[in-house]
Amino acid sequence: MLTGAFEVIWYIAASFLISLFAIPFGLLTKGIDRKLAAHMQWRVGPPVWQPFWDVKKLFQKETIVPEDAISWLYNAAPILCLASTVTILLYIPLGPFPPILEGHGDVILILYLLTIPSLAMVAGGFASSSPFASVGAQREMVLMMSYEFPLAATVIALVWKISSLYPQEAAFSLTAFARHPIWNIMGPFGIVGAIVLLIVLLLVTTGEITKVPFDIAEAETEIAEGVFVEYSGRNLGLFYLADAVKTVVMSALIVAIFFPYNLSPLLTPNISIPSWGWAIVDFLFFLLKLEIVIFFCMTFIRVSVARFRVDQVVKVYWGYLTLASLLALILIALDVML
Amino acid sequence: MMFFEVLKLLFKKPFTNKFPVKYAPKNTLGLIEKVQKGEVKINPPVDTPPGFRGKLEYDIDECVGCGLCAQVCPSHAIELVKDKNWVIMHCKDGAKLAAPLKIRIYVSRCIFCAQCVDVCPRKCLKMSDEFLLANEDKLAEDLIIPGP
Amino acid sequence: MSEHTYSIPVGPLHPAIHEPITLKIDVEGEEIVGVDVFCSQVHRGIEWLGMNRNNPIQNIYLAERVCGICNVCHPFCMVQAVEDASGIYPPERADYIRAIMAELERIHSHLLWAGVAAHEIGFDTVFHYTWALREKVMDLIEYLTGNRVTKAIMMVGGVRRDISEEGKKKIKEGMQYYLEKFAKIEDIYLNDPTIKMRTRDIGVLTREDALRLCAVGPLARASGVPKDVRQDFPYGAYADYGVKAITPDTYNGEIHADVFDRIIVRLLEVKQSVDIIKWAVDNLPSGPILAEKNLVKLKMLLKKAEGEGIGRVEAPRGEDIHYVRLEKGKDPYLSWKIRAPTYNNVLPWIPMLLGGQIADVPIVAASTDPCMSCLNRVTVVDEKGRKYEITKEYMHELSVKKTRRLMRNANRSF
Ligand code: SF4
Ligand code: SF4
Repeated sequence: MLTGAFEVIWYIAASFLISLFAIPFGLLTKGIDRKLAAHMQWRVGPPVWQPFWDVKKLFQKETIVPEDAISWLYNAAPILCLASTVTILLYIPLGPFPPILEGHGDVILILYLLTIPSLAMVAGGFASSSPFASVGAQREMVLMMSYEFPLAATVIALVWKISSLYPQEAAFSLTAFARHPIWNIMGPFGIVGAIVLLIVLLLVTTGEITKVPFDIAEAETEIAEGVFVEYSGRNLGLFYLADAVKTVVMSALIVAIFFPYNLSPLLTPNISIPSWGWAIVDFLFFLLKLEIVIFFCMTFIRVSVARFRVDQVVKVYWGYLTLASLLALILIALDVML
Repeated sequence: MMFFEVLKLLFKKPFTNKFPVKYAPKNTLGLIEKVQKGEVKINPPVDTPPGFRGKLEYDIDECVGCGLCAQVCPSHAIELVKDKNWVIMHCKDGAKLAAPLKIRIYVSRCIFCAQCVDVCPRKCLKMSDEFLLANEDKLAEDLIIPGP
Repeated sequence: MSEHTYSIPVGPLHPAIHEPITLKIDVEGEEIVGVDVFCSQVHRGIEWLGMNRNNPIQNIYLAERVCGICNVCHPFCMVQAVEDASGIYPPERADYIRAIMAELERIHSHLLWAGVAAHEIGFDTVFHYTWALREKVMDLIEYLTGNRVTKAIMMVGGVRRDISEEGKKKIKEGMQYYLEKFAKIEDIYLNDPTIKMRTRDIGVLTREDALRLCAVGPLARASGVPKDVRQDFPYGAYADYGVKAITPDTYNGEIHADVFDRIIVRLLEVKQSVDIIKWAVDNLPSGPILAEKNLVKLKMLLKKAEGEGIGRVEAPRGEDIHYVRLEKGKDPYLSWKIRAPTYNNVLPWIPMLLGGQIADVPIVAASTDPCMSCLNRVTVVDEKGRKYEITKEYMHELSVKKTRRLMRNANRSF
């Protein structure tokens, strides 16, 4: 009984801690992204802490609810979006720390949870009763449906490999990935397959966090920020935060699946510092990995291509990326069989 | 393909001229004060070329008040006014005290076409290279030539 | 119209269309099934000012402000009309300087357009990159005329500033810079797969439609109509050069009449402008730059002049026409009519957009390089829910009345 109560309190505290980490870090990431993107565009760009100012400003502004909007849904959507995004983080290992809800859910759950922020955006878009927002919401749904398959295929292929080698592990848990980094257990075919899957997942991430070329749901010049067109003030600020956290979530997922390495096992023989010191080192290393992943799945892609049209996005995801992930699946299957 | 181009640009110095400072200051007026006191240095703007059309300079003593400039000014930025200093004028019927005509230029209306400079028979108007003229008050002291 | 159709207003305030115009777009899902254009969201009364308040010299600067970007074409065109009416023709050197200015403006306008087009398809890197390259021509313009944007260089019967030897050198340097950078720009725009993906076979305006709707400028040329005022009715120095209208088949031998072709045409025109400028600088004749140096005298001459004139200029966006009528003893024009290129290029939006997708609206609209500030001339007043729609018949009636009045007035002064 007592332990039960303690557990609940721990979860609540941990959720707070997680958001205390994820929100500022997400904003910082956004800042770094903007800065790097600016430099790649031959300009100076805003200071790295600019997103913090933006959020502060948004929270001070008036929040307007359009007359025709379904106001409860309109107001609930941003909160739902942020809350669900933070929740996903509870299931993902953060560097040296295992997931807070370890044992309560696996990768499949994360895949499902990932759709909730998008659904919240869709709901908010439809609730705001603006033609631009409706178009944006429709596009968001199309986008969601099209990246779902490559995402699932990626995860399943890797899980399959792990479970075929280590049948005793809880197959779909992310800690299994951490214990058996996929690069160590793959044969030559598997490595190629895994590289393909990494690329697929990076591109899916770009769509998941709606950045150019897959930002069709927001598409500033086409439908004027789409689902967010009517949002202002605090509500927009919450969406902004959710977007920042989502970036962290997606990159943490990629890091957890593909690069679960820590620095400590490599360095412990040579340098001796207390174990909490190692935790800090590993965590910083984890943040560095996140930034590198984000650079490739967000900053680099978004500055070097134009925005696709809806049909082209669908073609990329359902066509090329699905094919690529199936190909990778076959490669990994070959690897398992050989 | 821009992929390689953007990576190249990443390591290039940004094209932007960081005038007046790299990032927007928290307090613009504070910054201006500090610059005037010489506490901070600002990045200079791009140099203006010779013959730049900036804020007008007016030589009030040369002006004969013919009003030609006011006639050609497309934005009606020039107004003919009586001078504050009365002078003794010598006419047919003896000398008398009168206020000669001079002009007043409202820089906030001026579109820097330099037409008045071209037309002035006494060449008492000139364009300087001053261009930082933004102000909240369009009748601010330094936006009216000649000053008080 | 089925029940799934709903309409989206694009404009008058919309991030894609930076100027006040409304496109009412009926969509079914993502597909566009109906387009309607509503112009005249603002009216500035420029022509009225020219006919009631200003003297011809002031009008030059007013014409300069018809459009922020074409601030050589409009005064150039108006000055031509006035010269036509008054018979004060510019010396040869002025003609060449005018051509140089107009071509510098074309370079800057086309590069600006290319950047905006990239932004419309979400390619901001290219947008910033192109605009960074554009700075060179802006600096050149600033050096030659005294300001980056408004050039204030036209004058009835000539130009106001001469080009010195130093200036010639600078122009040549600048043109060399663009010749060098041109390969890069061409590579970015014409070889990038994503730009091609977004613009190939989008917004097709067939040759027939282009002719039927009187499209002008790069829009018409991209549809394979070799129409260019500099070629068809050469004015000033262009007559000596012999401009050839650029159609996309000069680049790759085919005409798709789509947005991509418009990019090709504009980029090639930048190169053509560079060539023209180099030629004009090399062949700059000596002599005065003004037919009448004394401004006061010029003003008197214009006041005494009587008659009507037409100016035609190939602006970066297409053919620009000014009609001016002068009356003896009166400073303002008796009549001044501006027909800016965007006026012709707005209607082709409809066939270009129909059957496309919402995502195409910004780039297709931008592909005509619209400039609403030149276009608007009629106000539709909406007052307390009552809407005054000015119908075609009513407009016609008004025009007839006005023409009669003008004719009466003109007759009286003879
Ligand atoms: S520069 Fe032009 S606008 Fe300014 S005062 Fe002189 S004539 Fe008027
Ligand atoms: S034209 Fe020259 S002299 Fe005449 S009023 Fe103007 S400034 Fe004075």
